Amino acid sequence: MASASTTLDTVVLSIAHSLSAVERTFYKLPGSAIIERYVRSSHQNDPGRTFLELIIFFLVVRTLLQSRTRADRNNGKNFIEFSDKEIDELVEDWVPEPLAKPLDDVEAAELAAVPIIAGANGPHPTLVNTGKPTINLASLNFTGLANNEHVKQRALEAMRKYGVGSCGPTGFYGNFDVHLQCEKDIAEFLDTESAILYWQGFITASSVIPAFCKRGDIIVADRAVTLNIQKGMEISRSTIRWYDHNDLHSLEEVLQSVEKERRKRKGPLTRRFIITEGIFERDGTMTDLPKLIELKQKYKYRLILDESYSFGAVGRTGRGLTELYNVKASKVDILIGSCAIGLCASGGFCAGSRTVVEHQRINSPAYVFSASMPPLLAVSASEGINVLRDTPSLLTRLQDNVRAARAILDQVDSISIPSHRASPIIHIHLRNLSPSDMLHPSAAASMSNSKPSNPSSPVPRDAPVFDIEREERLLQEVVEEAMAQGVMITKAKRVRSLEITEARPSIRLAMSSALSKADTEKAVHVLAKILKRKFK
Amino acid sequence: MALNRGSSPTSSIFKKQKQSPSPPTAASYLSALSQADARARHAQRGTPTSTPALSLSSSLTSSTEDTVLAEEDADSSDGLAIPVGKPPNSEQSYTTVHTEFGHCYNEEYRHVSQHPVGAPVPRHVEQDPPYYILFSTYISYLILIVLGHMRDFFGKRFHPYSYRHLMPHDGYAPLNSDFDSFYTRRLKQRMDECFLQPVTGVAGRTIMLLDRYTPDYNHSQIILDTRTRALNISSYNYLGFAQARGGCADAVEEGMKRYGVTSCGSRLEGGSSDLHALAESVVAKFVGMEAAVISSMGFATNSTFIPALVSKGCLVISDELNHASIRFGVRNSGAQVRMFKHNDMKALESLLREVISQGQPKTHRPWKKILLIVEGMYSMEGTMVDLPSVLALKKKYKFYLFVDEAHSIGATGPHGRGVCDYFGIDPRKVDVLMGTFTKSFGASGGYIAGTRTLIDSLRVRGYSGAYAEAVAPPVLTQIIASIASIMSIDTSVGPAASVNKLGISTTPSSPPMQVTEYSHPGPISQRALPHWLTLPPPLSSGAEGLMRLRRLSFNSYYLHRGLDKLGFITYGHPSSPIVPLLIFNPAKMIMFHRMMKDRKTPIVVVVVAYPATPLVTSRVRFCVSASHTKEDIDSILRACDEIGDILDLKHGLGKGERWSVDEVCDRAVELVRIPDNEH
Repeated sequence: MASASTTLDTVVLSIAHSLSAVERTFYKLPGSAIIERYVRSSHQNDPGRTFLELIIFFLVVRTLLQSRTRADRNNGKNFIEFSDKEIDELVEDWVPEPLAKPLDDVEAAELAAVPIIAGANGPHPTLVNTGKPTINLASLNFTGLANNEHVKQRALEAMRKYGVGSCGPTGFYGNFDVHLQCEKDIAEFLDTESAILYWQGFITASSVIPAFCKRGDIIVADRAVTLNIQKGMEISRSTIRWYDHNDLHSLEEVLQSVEKERRKRKGPLTRRFIITEGIFERDGTMTDLPKLIELKQKYKYRLILDESYSFGAVGRTGRGLTELYNVKASKVDILIGSCAIGLCASGGFCAGSRTVVEHQRINSPAYVFSASMPPLLAVSASEGINVLRDTPSLLTRLQDNVRAARAILDQVDSISIPSHRASPIIHIHLRNLSPSDMLHPSAAASMSNSKPSNPSSPVPRDAPVFDIEREERLLQEVVEEAMAQGVMITKAKRVRSLEITEARPSIRLAMSSALSKADTEKAVHVLAKILKRKFK
Repeated sequence: MALNRGSSPTSSIFKKQKQSPSPPTAASYLSALSQADARARHAQRGTPTSTPALSLSSSLTSSTEDTVLAEEDADSSDGLAIPVGKPPNSEQSYTTVHTEFGHCYNEEYRHVSQHPVGAPVPRHVEQDPPYYILFSTYISYLILIVLGHMRDFFGKRFHPYSYRHLMPHDGYAPLNSDFDSFYTRRLKQRMDECFLQPVTGVAGRTIMLLDRYTPDYNHSQIILDTRTRALNISSYNYLGFAQARGGCADAVEEGMKRYGVTSCGSRLEGGSSDLHALAESVVAKFVGMEAAVISSMGFATNSTFIPALVSKGCLVISDELNHASIRFGVRNSGAQVRMFKHNDMKALESLLREVISQGQPKTHRPWKKILLIVEGMYSMEGTMVDLPSVLALKKKYKFYLFVDEAHSIGATGPHGRGVCDYFGIDPRKVDVLMGTFTKSFGASGGYIAGTRTLIDSLRVRGYSGAYAEAVAPPVLTQIIASIASIMSIDTSVGPAASVNKLGISTTPSSPPMQVTEYSHPGPISQRALPHWLTLPPPLSSGAEGLMRLRRLSFNSYYLHRGLDKLGFITYGHPSSPIVPLLIFNPAKMIMFHRMMKDRKTPIVVVVVAYPATPLVTSRVRFCVSASHTKEDIDSILRACDEIGDILDLKHGLGKGERWSVDEVCDRAVELVRIPDNEH
């Protein structure tokens, strides 16, 4: 008994001792006086008040510890409790849709009619479909680099030095000297500070845009930008404003409205970008670059210009829009181009200042997370640039062919060509088939005078209406007829369900300096004849 | 073609890169050639009559190139150029360059990567380091962050010009704010010497580094004229097909002569050739699916085809460690995403039960479809998906299964057919098989394989087909040649009489390749290959392919278990060629990297840290290749052992259970042969 009480005493004593020790250390802590004062003033000899304080304290802790992702919150609100048996039944009942809907007849027929080339591609390939040689107005080979023996030799030598694959992303030993050389060549060719290579032309814009544009930034984009730009903007989660296709007047209005909005909101300064294409993939129209640069400087925007279809295609030596308009490429903040299209190699590039380029080496997903381009293709891109620089006649021939083709097509009444006169891709629309074409010119003029479109919607106010299905079908008939007569052409293929706005169906001709003028004229004549006969 | 050198002003880039000037006369070419042959014979240890070790290629040019390669190595004492170990017997002769693909003659050093059928899949347990390591890691990051902020604070005041691009100026917001770029500037930049290393030559067994230095704390890197040849345990070269010599390279040369360098356009708009159709049918047969579609970039394969599989109203269930390209694709698709804990089948099942019973958020409508996306092998962890369990769940919960085999195709399974092959599962039980050609086949690009309906729909509705450039012909040839050599070629039917006229047509009757019977996984018929493609006997018979698979498996098991036995913490499945070695402390990463590179036999390694991994588990990631010899792995183990002692990295096995490095090297075969579940 006595021993028990002594142990109890020692326990109590030690507790009291340790408590006082805790108290002493507490007072030794810096700022303890403040806490003490706070507790005293809040308690005020009223346990209720302390209790309330404690509740608030626990609530704060709970809120801090709670997961704050949106999915969780939603589930909390909408969650329905089920028993295991009920879940089993629900699982049993659930019937998913098939993973892939089979192609319908039209799609299947079009897929079967896709031209397949036996052997090397070039100006006169033999088709597997017909077994006959054709004149090629479909493949992208603007300056004929695809058939340049010198480039091929260099690529072969590179293959014997580097093998085929690069076997790693640039970060981890996939950064070959030929990639660096190719980047340097592009930068020197365009006269920018620096350039960075991507391994697929298509992915370049989709990856460059989210590397710079983040949530809260403002993008002002053309309504007819191509799919990869749309996808890049989607990934970026920026605020997007749209201006009418290739209408710089509309652009200025949008820029003004954005500025007004910003003043009203008094938000912080955010990054602002104008995104457009040099030559549009959709219809071959061309941006008025000097005017665009003027606008961007006036409103302090950065310009992202996709020159995929103009680099290696226009300008005296194929440097693209900047050379055509005699604008310094360094004035375009972020210039995107394609080595696959313009240089007949593979991949794409982004040129700009050193800051712009180095930023992408760490922040651009397609650059960071992907193995680099096969070195032999980087070599052929470098060689392509050398050929372009040394032989301006390639571009002159290309322009001659474009002019010859346009001269013939101009005589066909049933079509309209939105493409720029210098654009080596020529889109052909069918006329007089769709409601928009039926309008009287004066009505069209009054339409353009009406109120401007809503900048937050990608769809313009007076969206042209056309019968996609019918036009696609008729164009496909033209394509197949031309193929049967030895001219390889193609419709502009697109995935309509993924595009943000509808593009008008078109036949897309790609001119090439590898074809002689006579061959070009012959092929376009065949096409013109078919068009004239079918659509009187 | 080398004789053409200098014929145009554009050849300058080649001249600059080759340090040894090309001999000016034909006579000196020949003497160089004979010297190279002599060296090759020496390398083969007294088999003077056998085939020269360097190349089977007969053209003068390629031999000359060999000479240059050998001359570069002649003065190096790193022991990388000359094979060591067991000499070959009379039947063995290597046709590869030792620096590209090592010569390893000992048949003991082979292993088959296969899961015992019916055995449970062992769960991967992650070992934790001692507390003091965790603590010091956090402290290190804390110090780095505090220092970084202090530098920013004072820098902005004393050197405002160098912060100009991070501050708003002239009415423009900064392209990259100082806050967003803090990690890059203040943490990553300190160890920039581990990244973006410029290289040249073949990324094979060894790699040639262009030496560089930085005069201004990594703001700029200056590339020097000197080079260093290093043992390459970093490139994705699992089967060692990164070669500039040998049967595949010869095939690629022939392919380039016939098809050129580029395809000129997208698949649907005039960029398709018969070679594309052939390559797709070869890939489909290889993975055991009805059809396949290939795309010119691995990243883009996921990012452009996933939106064609799922859309709004669908759900994607994604492993938390899935690759960035999958996330990119899913975000573009508009589908909802839910993630589950890495490889945790229980978490997956409870998530499935939740999402199916709850339906779409708010509306509670049933999901249109659920797509589960997993990777065959995870690139940062080396873990393998538990495919049998996933398939069991699939049966019950009716989701569609998408397996990204970027790292596992070619690298696992007794026939190299990926995870399905490894587990002995019929690949057609999986709905979508995706993979890349970068890692195992020495090419580039990716594929998606599935039913014919699915693939045709992807051709039309995926945006790769309509917009993105088609794969370049040299890459296609490399794909066909390397895959055919793994499959082995069945010549019994004889070569096809004429050019295969294939369409990517949908009607089942038209493609003639369907005539040839194929049983999975078996040899491929000569008819299904391009008629001009001839591979040398070791490749066409499949013997070399099999050797590559077995050497890769041996090397993976050996490095994995060797490191374990030495006391390191490693992650991942032992059969995975990715071997992550945990380092934890950030400062040790750069130390490890530099100490490996500065050895007598330089070794280049990949170090990865946050954000690619969780903050504490920084690691070195070794990528084993079939081109490594057992001696190469020995030297890596020895290097790790030495450096591990200095840097205090051995936190795995207790001191008593560890083996010495000599014991590990001596008992390598025994170590590799321990069954998975007993290790």
